[in-house]
Amino acid sequence: MTDVAMADLGYAALFLSLIFSLYAAGAALYAARRNRSEIFVSARNAIFVVAALTSLATGILVWALVTHQFRIEYVARQTSRAQPLLYNISALWGGQEGSLLFWAWLLAIFSAIVLIQNYRKNQELMPYVITGLGVTIAFFLALMTIASNPEESGFIIALPLNATLAASLVGNPFRVLDFVPRDGNGLNPLLQNPGMFIHPVTQYLGYVGFTIPFAFAMAALFTRRLSDVWIRTTRRWTLVSWLFLSLGLLFGMQWAYMELGWGGYWGWDPVENASLMPWLTATAYLHSVMIQEKRGMLKVWNLVLVMLTFALSLLGTFITRSGVIESVHAFGVSSLGPWFLVFLGLTLLSFLYLLFERMGDLKEENELDSLVSRESSFLLNNLILVGAAFATLWGTIFPMVNEAITNKKVTVGAPFFNQVNGPIFFALIILVGICPLIGWRRATIENLIRNFMRPFAATLVAVIVFFALGVREWYGLLSYGAATFVLVTIALEFYRGALARVRQYSENWGIAAINLISDNRRRYGGYIVHVGVILAVIGIAGSSFYQSETQANLKPGETVQLKNYTLRFDGLQIYPRENHQAITARLTVFENGTNVGILVPEKNYYPSNNPDMSQWTTEIAVRTTPLEDLYVTLAGFDEKAQTATLKVIINPLVVWLWIGFAILVGGTVVAALPDPREERALARARAKEALAHA
Amino acid sequence: MSSIAVPNVERTASVKTGGKWKFLIGGLLILGAIAYVTVMSFQSNAIYYLNLKELNAQRASLVNQAVRINAPLDKSSIQFDDKSLTLKFILRDGDLALPVVYKGVVPDTMDKGDSVVAEGKLGADGIFQASTILVKCPSKYESEPAR
Repeated sequence: MTDVAMADLGYAALFLSLIFSLYAAGAALYAARRNRSEIFVSARNAIFVVAALTSLATGILVWALVTHQFRIEYVARQTSRAQPLLYNISALWGGQEGSLLFWAWLLAIFSAIVLIQNYRKNQELMPYVITGLGVTIAFFLALMTIASNPEESGFIIALPLNATLAASLVGNPFRVLDFVPRDGNGLNPLLQNPGMFIHPVTQYLGYVGFTIPFAFAMAALFTRRLSDVWIRTTRRWTLVSWLFLSLGLLFGMQWAYMELGWGGYWGWDPVENASLMPWLTATAYLHSVMIQEKRGMLKVWNLVLVMLTFALSLLGTFITRSGVIESVHAFGVSSLGPWFLVFLGLTLLSFLYLLFERMGDLKEENELDSLVSRESSFLLNNLILVGAAFATLWGTIFPMVNEAITNKKVTVGAPFFNQVNGPIFFALIILVGICPLIGWRRATIENLIRNFMRPFAATLVAVIVFFALGVREWYGLLSYGAATFVLVTIALEFYRGALARVRQYSENWGIAAINLISDNRRRYGGYIVHVGVILAVIGIAGSSFYQSETQANLKPGETVQLKNYTLRFDGLQIYPRENHQAITARLTVFENGTNVGILVPEKNYYPSNNPDMSQWTTEIAVRTTPLEDLYVTLAGFDEKAQTATLKVIINPLVVWLWIGFAILVGGTVVAALPDPREERALARARAKEALAHA
Repeated sequence: MSSIAVPNVERTASVKTGGKWKFLIGGLLILGAIAYVTVMSFQSNAIYYLNLKELNAQRASLVNQAVRINAPLDKSSIQFDDKSLTLKFILRDGDLALPVVYKGVVPDTMDKGDSVVAEGKLGADGIFQASTILVKCPSKYESEPAR
């Protein structure tokens, strides 16, 4: 087949998917209202067809990307002959049209999986779940197949039936050119980094994943089945989506740290904020559902949190894709933004309408007993997380809103976010430590004193030790004191649990610890996540408070010194690599006079057939120890004089940020493993609900 | 905290229905406090975001104040001294020109920049001392294919 025919086929697959997803949404609703099970089956099958067709379209685009079908505009823009295969594949999510397809495809696959898991078990909820998922998939498909550019022609939808006619559609990944370019432009070299291969995938998996709990929440509202069944049913979907959002944050930070060369990993850039906000509200949700499961409370709040998380995920996609806010990520200004806002607005309005309509079905089964209780500490944690999401949202989008209203352009940067979120996150950390010490319902004073004694004493000792070691700044002492406090409380939780097993079953300590975790995956998985968070905090505090840097212009043989490191410049090397020219500076590193190895920071030049597209990238070199990172950037060089200008940074404790995230990921996996205890709880909840609705 | 059936405790007479308000008020106070701090910090940290015309109009009042500027880059004016890591360039919009000095690592995309977003202070000498610069390319991560 010719390239154009393949593009037509891809477009046709998307267009048919659109029809099938709309059919699924409508038919499922009809089936539920009229109680027609054969139509429900047909709606379910339509979702399977959508999953198959979007897979076909994705397959065609990947084929085109790796076989250089430059007639397809997207391929010409995102890939080139010289570009390594890995990055030609990652071009699938490297540009706007491809990411739209990727989103729709992931959601279609997720929807098919959810249906296979649930269509027997949750017959009441599933029709409405299909409707919610079908509409969301249809929205993304419509952006690719029929949506016009609102800035040029307003909100109209066109019905072009082949790729050539579809050429005017900005979201269509299968737009063809009227000529065949000899080579493509290729992905921006800054994105040619293994982190960039994985970061967007995890980010999208997280964003897309939250559509599933949202669809169930909507279905629960529709059917008035508002007990904890929908929450328990989607528990693992929520956890896995949260896991992917966390991975998205981790890979994003690592990419910034390794690739941007300024020595940091987080700059409160709008797109970074966009990935943080749904993570914050989802974290709140993961905690607050426990209150509903245990005590039948916070029902409205949980629905609102799911809604916020879904909305912030869409907003994240929108901010990343629209270029509406200035950012290092601005992926070219897109004209699809208004469609996102319209869809987001309509979804939120209908959800809120349903929520108010169903308020009568959302009565709390219990009331909060005491201000000093596990419930209160969860509530406080929720308020803080939502508060942090709000502050971040405000700083991210208020400048835009303000400009629209007052026509004055103002903006805020990192100082604002640090000033507001710093104390908020500090309070949150303390709470992570306090929460397990407070009993459910109502804690007694004696209890509190007994539980707080040991962690508090340990914290005091730790602060004195840190002080003796030379930590004199209040913020350092505060952060590390808080970290100690939390780690001790978690260690005590593990100790008590294991001790009980050692006594009761005469297990040895190792076996007891393993059984403890495996018998209470959710609870101890959660504690492991907390340990990861605290280690990450230690890394963040160290690298933000105690960074030091210097720069120097060196001739071969000269040295630069920073703290106890001495770096000797051994010379420049310039040579060609696969698709770029490398300029490397060889440095021998001495720590307290001992040779500890070499570091080779680089500058790379990526030529392109389009002179505007050729580009420099800076590749840092880093030496990591548990105590600190020695981070070196080749900031400039002179080939004739053989000199190099180096920027040298010492980032204390950064590695703990990465280790902390790895532990967080491990803990989340533990919590998300199939758990007989949770299965039984779900079965009980289902039986109870069936009884209530009989 | 076992997740095995903690029974839903029936509401007993001792639990006052008024307890709810305690929590509602407490929660609103906390959210209110966070909102207040957010809005206040925004105002104290907000800086003007101007183009060259706006900067020129308010030049006198802006000396030594933090501002962010977005203006077209005169590519021919870029000078980089790699010994001192000092980058000098001129932002130009029609007749207006603003010399900018920046110390640090030059963004990799500098020579492709269409315009520059610079944050820093305008000195009394008319030179803008930038603390951060963000280079805006014709389109940053995407571009039109060349014929």
